[in-house]
Amino acid sequence: MNVKEKLSILADAAKYDASCSSSGSNRNSNSYGIGNACSFGICHSFSSDGRCISLLKILMTNSCIYDCKYCLNRKSNNIKRAIFTPEEICEVTINFYRRNYIEGLFLSSGIVRSPDYTMELMIRTISMLRNKYHFGGYIHAKAIPGASKKLLKDLGNLVDRLSANIELPTENSLKLLAPNKNQSEVSEIMHYVKDNQSRKYVPAGQSTQMIIGASKESDLDIMQKSENMYSNYKLKRVFYSAYIPVNKDSLLPSLEKPPLVRENRLYQADWLIRYYNFKVNDLLSEDNPFFNILIDPKADYALRHLDEFPKEINKCSYYDLLKVPGIGVVTAKRIISSRRNFNIKFDDLKRMGVVIKRAKYFITCDGKYFIGNEFFKKDFIVSNLVLEDKLYETKNVEQLSLFSE
Amino acid sequence: MNKIYIYNGDFVSLLSLIHYLISNNIRPYNIQNNEYFPNLLEEIILVNLDNNEEVIKKIISIIGREIFKTLYYVFLSADEKKEIIIFYFILNGFKYRKSVIYRRDLKCVCETLKISEYVKHEIHKFKGFLRFKELENKVLYAEIEPINDVLFFLSSHFSKRLKNEYWIIKDVKRGILSIYNKKKFIIINEDDFLISTDKLSNEEEQIQELWKLFYKIIGISARKNDRCRINFMPKRYWKYILEVSDER
Repeated sequence: MNVKEKLSILADAAKYDASCSSSGSNRNSNSYGIGNACSFGICHSFSSDGRCISLLKILMTNSCIYDCKYCLNRKSNNIKRAIFTPEEICEVTINFYRRNYIEGLFLSSGIVRSPDYTMELMIRTISMLRNKYHFGGYIHAKAIPGASKKLLKDLGNLVDRLSANIELPTENSLKLLAPNKNQSEVSEIMHYVKDNQSRKYVPAGQSTQMIIGASKESDLDIMQKSENMYSNYKLKRVFYSAYIPVNKDSLLPSLEKPPLVRENRLYQADWLIRYYNFKVNDLLSEDNPFFNILIDPKADYALRHLDEFPKEINKCSYYDLLKVPGIGVVTAKRIISSRRNFNIKFDDLKRMGVVIKRAKYFITCDGKYFIGNEFFKKDFIVSNLVLEDKLYETKNVEQLSLFSE
Repeated sequence: MNKIYIYNGDFVSLLSLIHYLISNNIRPYNIQNNEYFPNLLEEIILVNLDNNEEVIKKIISIIGREIFKTLYYVFLSADEKKEIIIFYFILNGFKYRKSVIYRRDLKCVCETLKISEYVKHEIHKFKGFLRFKELENKVLYAEIEPINDVLFFLSSHFSKRLKNEYWIIKDVKRGILSIYNKKKFIIINEDDFLISTDKLSNEEEQIQELWKLFYKIIGISARKNDRCRINFMPKRYWKYILEVSDER
């Protein structure tokens, strides 16, 4: 089998992993090497599904001794199998990198023979790339659950990011759909990486991924799992991947379309938790365990806590600013630094990057609401926000059809 | 008559002129480089100035190095009003010193920040979207058509990343080349350096095919989303992006 055939099998098998980020590392190559890692992360292309491509995302092999129900590569599937040699992966990576197609390599693998054997193969490949090809670009590797600590140590010393996929939010679902895996092996990896992380060991930190919609958990279950992992293992990212049916199985739901809006709401909420000081309990509860599909989680929070609003732009705290829909981290900082120097008016806000059409319902400038104070009512705001979103959608579709002509 | 002050096209001479105007309490109608053609209502004024380093040191000491760099990004933009924006920014910089950057109630500050972000954004986009091809003699060659003059900052990025390669980047619209010789890069006029870029290395075509294959496969058809793709990768870049250039 030639490299082209292998690539078509092993990139196809790797594409369902959501992670593509290349940020958080400042690696450099030695004097005769090639490449560096840029802490901001660089997107090199965008695929037909609109996702960023920054890494050569491939599997070492799609052979697997496991039989996870949802996975294309499960043992019981009758598909073409392939395995890359370390040299082949190095050559393709370097050739793509020199031409600026990619930021680096994302290497994952099916399990061949045993977890240890598989990790050894990956280590041999990445070690060759770092030491023989002197590659200083970004590398993200999947840790194989069940492999030894010694191998986890070696792999972590070579890569920028390590990740181990939790796959499903609860142990029960995992038992049902991935009978060969268990959560404790994944948590062991996360523990080890957290305890050893440094500028030399997994400098860009670890991440994980959950499949959304293949099992019965609510958004609350999912977000609580994420919140726990962020605090227990200092994860950089949890990725949420809308379940796409690739196999037929009586244990799996039959979906017409992947639950993309739900996935989007989870990402928005995840963002609020990592950067906006929100807690899962602010957003969801036992009585209200799913996100609102019509309105984003932040606007939804504001509408359910209208008594905390409107916020006074010239006085309220940084964390209060962050609670306002239409104000992000950067804009909140701008407001703070500006208002030390002058009194902010509605007209100034737009130039600062505030999304006025969302924010105006939730703020005052020097005590003034954007229209008469008597309009500050839930019904009025809800109908306007939903309408804004609908208008935005139609406008975007029209613009798109203009572009594609 | 509207007075248009002329500088010779580089950043230092613009700063020297602005310093002269401020010291003499002159408020120009506009400032333009020496390729400018005035209209009937405009009067061209040339001031003979030495480009002196002292002026730059003075400006940096007043507004700080970070803000000075921000002004350089504005200078690299294709915005027609950039000179007069820089003028009013420095004028206010002399008044508010380092805190001028927070005065978003001033139009010149808002414009400066907006334009500099736009230039930085374009530099960042090209760090990803630029595509090299390998010529017969192993030199890597790329063409770009940026809106702003991003060649300097791009070159400095690639001189770290691909430090052991020979590469050339051409800004097609401006007709300038950046040439890197494994030590440093220089930016020159395309007429001063003739290269033939038609003959590719033996394996080039094969690698391009491999990349196009990867690009096609990595998209998940059940999630197809062209709106999102075009938002992140606008069509004006596509001409030079190998994997989508034939989709245009």
